[in-house]
Amino acid sequence: MGANGEREPKKNVLLTGATGTIGRQVAQTLYHDPNVGRLVCVARDSEPYYFHDYDRIRFQFKQLDILKARELHNFVLSALFREASIDTVVHLAFVNRPRDQGLATHTLNVEGTKNLLYKCIEIGHIRKFVFQSSDAVYKLRPSNPALLDEEADLNFDHDASQYVKDRVDADMICRSQLLNPGVRIIILRPSSIIGRNVHSRWNALLENHRLIFKVLGFDPMICPIHANDVIRAIQHAVHRDVQGVFNITGLDWAPLSTFIRLAGANRLSLPALALRAVNGLQQALRLTQYDYDDQPEAMRHACLLDTTRARDVLGFTPQYHIKFA
Amino acid sequence: MSPRTREQVVRLCKLLAGPEEYRWLDRIGVRDLGLGYDRFGFEKESAALAYLFLRLVYKHWFRVESEGHHNIPRVGRCILVGNHGGLLPWDASMMCVDALCRLHPPRMVRAIVDHFVATLPFLNVIFARCGQVIGARQNFRELLQGEELILVFPEGTKGIGKPYWDRYRLRPFRVGFVEMALQYKSPIVPVSFIGPDDQAPIVVSFDGVSQSLGVPFVPVTPTFPWLGLAGLLPYPVKYRIQYGEPIHFYREYGKDAALDPRLVEELASRVREKVQDMVDAGLKRRTGVFV
Repeated sequence: MGANGEREPKKNVLLTGATGTIGRQVAQTLYHDPNVGRLVCVARDSEPYYFHDYDRIRFQFKQLDILKARELHNFVLSALFREASIDTVVHLAFVNRPRDQGLATHTLNVEGTKNLLYKCIEIGHIRKFVFQSSDAVYKLRPSNPALLDEEADLNFDHDASQYVKDRVDADMICRSQLLNPGVRIIILRPSSIIGRNVHSRWNALLENHRLIFKVLGFDPMICPIHANDVIRAIQHAVHRDVQGVFNITGLDWAPLSTFIRLAGANRLSLPALALRAVNGLQQALRLTQYDYDDQPEAMRHACLLDTTRARDVLGFTPQYHIKFA
Repeated sequence: MSPRTREQVVRLCKLLAGPEEYRWLDRIGVRDLGLGYDRFGFEKESAALAYLFLRLVYKHWFRVESEGHHNIPRVGRCILVGNHGGLLPWDASMMCVDALCRLHPPRMVRAIVDHFVATLPFLNVIFARCGQVIGARQNFRELLQGEELILVFPEGTKGIGKPYWDRYRLRPFRVGFVEMALQYKSPIVPVSFIGPDDQAPIVVSFDGVSQSLGVPFVPVTPTFPWLGLAGLLPYPVKYRIQYGEPIHFYREYGKDAALDPRLVEELASRVREKVQDMVDAGLKRRTGVFV
């Protein structure tokens, strides 16, 4: 209901990256959301089996590469897009796997975000653009406060990993349009997401390992977020009449060693150089998806997020505790 | 710590401290976020264990005498401002022990530490688990909003790195604590430490080397680096801690005064002078460095 008691119009949502782990769950949540009218999902893959049973009046799937400007242009001119009266875009198409780095990934992550955002601004009837960023955009250093708010320094280091650079670039592209009067931009910066098949820093480190390596002499406080809470946050972002950048974090705050214990693994602390070598070997043997070089500071310095804005403005508070299978 | 380790630590603490003193220690407040830690990584059991070790140092090594505890509020926010000295921050740890064993009810002192501590392996974890907090404005704000008892040494690392012939001569104060006291209406309690500046007399300090090592200074004392790490052991000087009367700048100047840099600097100088006066008076009163 709106502020005056009248029923708010249903949102018609375009979702990119719908075949990813989070994207699939967001699609399911939005499909079952009574306040969402039509849902159009796009992805580079063909339509997966789990969408086959969806009601085609409310749900459409379109195979689309947002990198191809002509394809994207044709899509927004298509009858499917026009009839769906899309007013909200949720952009989740982002490659998070450290192994899949390279120019193609960079192009999708950064150019794809730019193409889509600028097209949304150009066509004029998109009222909201929701982008899932990450806590990887923040610069981690010893002088950081315990809680990083949305104004904290971003990691512009030229020697940062490609994943971090892509995240920062895409985040900045969206931020640059925050003052655009036509589209409300919402940038969600969740902490490392824990969930099955999710590609995130701590999930890659903690999932399915008997022995987990960490840096000797350091045990940073972390606060990962449950995948379900990320989906809830995206749902909030779709419905709330707000804009801006929002840190999103989970319920459980503890040192890394505690999460290793909760994951049922043993830990072995190694000096940083040895850890880098061991992690390189693990990756070469395909034993882990965790990439130490992706954000080495995360093993030393806390990356806790101040979620005051998310609570007060977005109305989001986490609900799910981290549980490991 | 795992729940099992915690249980063992609690059992050990009860054994070392006795049930009555442990009950006293158990009253330490922690804003537990569910897994036994607060946002800064403070863990009650680790702090209790550290306290039991430091209490021995407090009683038998430094033989700490303290007075003026009535000046520290029993509850609510408060900023303790002291002089800093002696190479390693034993003064902060002795004050933490003092506040735990002499205040009724015991209060955990949250010392603000320089951010280079966060780069030191092992020490960064020990400091965080025992309640020490990296010096950042947001951290300070969070502690004040949490009604904590905060200890600051506005001289910073320049205080603990000063040469022996400058002992008990306070370095210029940083002003952040005054801004915070004004903004968040916190009393400031000046504290004087007599003893720390004599515990490790620094003869010379190499600044050029320190930059390449990533530490604030590289000191030379009569025992360090000649005896290796053992040379860092402080001399068993006698510590005297005095808590002065609280200063309530916010009553006189109001919240907006924090935006006036000249006034803030002047108020910080006033606190420095007060601490210097207390230190000078304490030096006059003492009969010897070791007794």
